[in-house]
Amino acid sequence: MKSIIFRVCSAAILFLLAFQSANAADLVVITNPDISISSTDIKDVFLGEKQFAGSAKLVVVDNASAQGSFLSKFMNMDAAKYNSIWTKKSFRDGLTAPAVKSGDAEVIEYIKRTPGSVGYVSTKPPGVKVIQ
Amino acid sequence: MAKSRDVNMAQLGQRGRLGLLSAAIIGVALTTTAFAQTDTARITDLEKEVSQMLANRTTPDGLRVHGFLDIGYASNNYEDVALKLHGFNVGLLDLYLTPEFSDNVKSLVELVFEVDAHGAVVVDFERAQVGYTFNDKVTLWGGRFHTPYGYWNTAFHNGAQIQTSVLRPRFLAFGDRGGVLPAHMVGVWTTGKTGAGEGKITYDAFAGNGSKFVNVTGPGTGTVDTNVAGDNNHNVMVGLNVGYEFADSMEGLRLAAHGFKGTVDAYSGDATNNGALVHSTDLNMLGGSAVYVVNDWEVMSEYYHFNDQDKMGSTGSHTSWASYLQVGKTFNKITPFVRLEKAALNQQDNYFGDQETGRAYSRQSIGMSYSLNPKTNLKLEVLHSKFEADAVRGSGGYNSVLAQYAIRF
Repeated sequence: MKSIIFRVCSAAILFLLAFQSANAADLVVITNPDISISSTDIKDVFLGEKQFAGSAKLVVVDNASAQGSFLSKFMNMDAAKYNSIWTKKSFRDGLTAPAVKSGDAEVIEYIKRTPGSVGYVSTKPPGVKVIQ
Repeated sequence: MAKSRDVNMAQLGQRGRLGLLSAAIIGVALTTTAFAQTDTARITDLEKEVSQMLANRTTPDGLRVHGFLDIGYASNNYEDVALKLHGFNVGLLDLYLTPEFSDNVKSLVELVFEVDAHGAVVVDFERAQVGYTFNDKVTLWGGRFHTPYGYWNTAFHNGAQIQTSVLRPRFLAFGDRGGVLPAHMVGVWTTGKTGAGEGKITYDAFAGNGSKFVNVTGPGTGTVDTNVAGDNNHNVMVGLNVGYEFADSMEGLRLAAHGFKGTVDAYSGDATNNGALVHSTDLNMLGGSAVYVVNDWEVMSEYYHFNDQDKMGSTGSHTSWASYLQVGKTFNKITPFVRLEKAALNQQDNYFGDQETGRAYSRQSIGMSYSLNPKTNLKLEVLHSKFEADAVRGSGGYNSVLAQYAIRF
């Protein structure tokens, strides 16, 4: 009996881990089609270090439903650290932290209609440029 | 024959009318197509314009006010209770805005409300900056800003919640709280970063009104005035802070060199009526900073070396130095830290000798910051401070215990 419970629990844990990994793996950074940035710029863009792509001002948006996975996968930090960095940047350099959208649909809609915009979503959508 | 001609004419008339009608239809069709194309282009342009306007609307929910607030408790065994008050205190209410007016034009406005040592509420127009960002490498600011020397002055300044300790290093504090450096400046400041190797070169170059001392009626009596309304001696203070931010395995480390120079005059009168010129000193500072902030570590150190020249008297030049080292590490929600600081300030140098806060001292601090949530910290700090004698005061020391509840919003 104990063995069955152990197997079921193990399977459940493995399933959850696999599901979580898949979510993080599917996460993509997207931009409006009219700008060009490289995958190596992602960290600088989301920390306000890179504000322009050529002459175009970048408009960065966060995605509340995928922020944890994004910060872990691309920025190597948690939300507390990310927010702390932005507080210091805002206070020192007068920069405005990225606006936070509620989920994929809102981010995609915003990216499609906003020149210079950059965001991230959990599945690859049509009509936008995928950076990574 | 005539009838035949009439028929032909009639036929011709019919053909003409048909031709005219066809031409009219084709014309209308062509015109409609042309208008349709024009409208499509106009609608496309309009859509782009609206999108651009929406994109530029960086504060869709209105202009957000950011800020800091702190309250505290202090106890010490200083011999003069009137100078070192015990008990609860209200710290600062700091409000700041960062409105952007276009892709390149931005501003930063900061107001501070504080209670001074006599219990009076003081409002300070802390920062009023207007900036233009040319690109990622160059931003030019003008107005009143935090003087960008070292690290602490621009990184934390009045933001109690974002600094681990309760107090700033004493020599970096504000003029009315023990500091000896010009923490604010009115002028221009250009700042930026550019890639170099794996890391980035950072720079701050600034020029503006130099400070002056007022109420200098004897040694150790003067207070600093940042000359907000204009420079009293038309002598621009200039400075530079150049650093390198490492990347990859050394990410979080920044090494920098900094310096500034200017002429600081001391007057017997107050800020509105300077009175007699008492001293004039060429202030020359060179130094550096090292900061390592990564993986829960916070290590900060700054060094300032002064070589000042007496311009009015015959005391010549004098050297002084000041430095601190603070080390902290976060364990879950608690960040314990230790700080050592020392300011060997030559009292023959009028720049320090004139200032009420210009005594040489050393201080050791140990404390901790407990994060109640990402925006709220509770801090406890124990300090031992030792002061050297100056022209009017003997040497002495005291111990302090400080507590602070600090929030940001």
